[in-house]
Amino acid sequence: MKGARTGLVTLSLALALTGCKVVDTGDKAQADGAPAGPPPPPPHQMRAEMAAGDRLHTTMSGEDLFSNRCGACHLDWGMGTNLITKQQVALGRPPSMGLLTNRDDLTADYVKSVVRMGKNAMPRQTRVDVTDAELDKIAAYLGKGK
Amino acid sequence: MQLTLPPRMSPQQFDAAVKALQGAVGAGWVMTTDQDRDAYADIYAPGPETLWGASGAVAPSSVEEIQAVVRIANEHKLPLWTIARGKNLGYGTAAPRMPGSMVLDLGRMDKILELDPELGYCVIEPGVGFLDLYERIQREKVPLILSVPGNGWGSVLGNALDHGIGYTPYGVHAKNLCGMEVVLGTGEVVRTGLGAMTKNHAWHMFPFNYGPSWDQMFTQSNLGIVTKAGMWLMPEPDSSLELNLDIPEAEDIGWVVDTLTPLKLGGIIDQSIFIPSWLGKMVILGQRKDFWDKPGAIPDWRVAELLKEHKLGYWKVQIRVYGDENVNKAKAEVIKAAFKKHIATPMEEVWWRRGDPTNVMDTTLGVPSAVPLQMGDWVGGKSAHMGFSPVVPATSKHVLDQMKRSRKIISDHDVDFYASFTISGRFANNVNMLMYDRDKPEQVEAIKKLFNALIADAAANGYAEYRTHLGWMDSIADTFDFNDHAMRRMTEKVKDVLDPNGILSPGKQGIWPSAYADQRGKALA
Repeated sequence: MKGARTGLVTLSLALALTGCKVVDTGDKAQADGAPAGPPPPPPHQMRAEMAAGDRLHTTMSGEDLFSNRCGACHLDWGMGTNLITKQQVALGRPPSMGLLTNRDDLTADYVKSVVRMGKNAMPRQTRVDVTDAELDKIAAYLGKGK
Repeated sequence: MQLTLPPRMSPQQFDAAVKALQGAVGAGWVMTTDQDRDAYADIYAPGPETLWGASGAVAPSSVEEIQAVVRIANEHKLPLWTIARGKNLGYGTAAPRMPGSMVLDLGRMDKILELDPELGYCVIEPGVGFLDLYERIQREKVPLILSVPGNGWGSVLGNALDHGIGYTPYGVHAKNLCGMEVVLGTGEVVRTGLGAMTKNHAWHMFPFNYGPSWDQMFTQSNLGIVTKAGMWLMPEPDSSLELNLDIPEAEDIGWVVDTLTPLKLGGIIDQSIFIPSWLGKMVILGQRKDFWDKPGAIPDWRVAELLKEHKLGYWKVQIRVYGDENVNKAKAEVIKAAFKKHIATPMEEVWWRRGDPTNVMDTTLGVPSAVPLQMGDWVGGKSAHMGFSPVVPATSKHVLDQMKRSRKIISDHDVDFYASFTISGRFANNVNMLMYDRDKPEQVEAIKKLFNALIADAAANGYAEYRTHLGWMDSIADTFDFNDHAMRRMTEKVKDVLDPNGILSPGKQGIWPSAYADQRGKALA
């Protein structure tokens, strides 16, 4: 039971610290003395739009491609962000590292490997989901660890 | 994944077919490496992914390219497996029913062709995801809202065509489809409904053909490839009120359903009402091991403790009414009075008015999210889930009967009971989530055994699943046994006429063309 409560507080803290904007939705469950769950989720974060053109030879930036192709799970309060936040916190890193764009330890090769091979809950992405040209740009954008 | 060839196809014939496809759509959009085959595999596969392994994938970008692919498939006897965006998680993802099929990936056909706020509809291609449509609506401030399923990562049309459900007044997604364009197995293009007339203005408003109507024949179907369709969308309401109530005991679901169904049929509640059990809340709060670290199902006494500790009811009722504020207030009074007859706890009221912000978890206000998939983390590891989803009449008699039986079977197999009921009218979809870690073969085996037991039990008692995973498509089709499976025999006759070489999604929902009839019953989970 102690573990459960600690887990809750950790997740709550972790999500609060990822830099998510918190909206007051009037969560009365907390007011009547229930244990504090995670703070209310933030608004949907809009993804960058896909530019028209040949996706096999993309002219879009890595930043925009990451936002559009990976944004379903890896922006604020996305499924991927939530799970990675928990993993990073367990490793003693700050919760903000749940957002891939904040990570400074990713390499381009690692990003490519996880996108194509998958990892834990992360499914493998097809070349329709993300083309090789798009993945090159995304990997270069996220791969700050060189 | 190594190459699995389609039945009776030699490597040389396969190679010739691939070259022809490359000529039709461009070499970059025919994907046949081992890595590509892995990417199209079912990441939640209950068993080896090779059971449902694709030989590759081809991704056309237009109706003309689809027709070219179909011509080539006929010529080379190459079976295709059509997907929209391939995010059918829990039911097979992008993987084909018949090993060796070439996935026909329509993810590149992602145009929103019409978006009409006046009459509340859109015309879209299969590659349009819930997020794409949602963001287009937000950007252009179009006063329409979506009905989104639990997994908002997938395709709007793909979900509707597979009978997906959502939680707004437009929650029965297949009913929102109106007017389709379809490529048949012969390569011919047809338009359903009033679209059968060239340039008809009411194609996406009037849901019937002149004569027999065919739209639903292309849902959960391998009788054609839907290349675009009209989809009705709900006008954004002026206000919306959410009424929340925790319901203490498992058996209370009986009176809850008997209270809600008349309100639904009487027009007080318009939405499809989602009633998840407590575990739906817990899976977001942490992992199973945080709450119960022993193998086997969480015992009832521990469940009772957890509900107390976290101030949860066994069920969470979240009702949402939409529309004019005064009407919503009046509806709320009727709903509250109906519940007051059974429970003293007042309902929590959360108002939303047009212009108010929404958050990523506001599913019932049409915000798409993949976060509900996070529930897989409950078991940890390479987490996966399947849904055992019988449809039951929306009365306490049937709901309690189904729940008691499935709860006992799930408990006997030492698996956590995680049920939900979604009341969409006269019926309720009873989705039972079965979560497992794919890296633990004993868990996978236990879940399969459990799934088979649940199907057999439901069928013996007169209930069927509304949808299922690839590995059980034949088993579920077998349960539809009236007059020696007369419906399946009829559909297969139609299949052979419309698709003589049987190249379109053989085996989908247990419908096998003559050309691959020998594959029936193979590659089961």
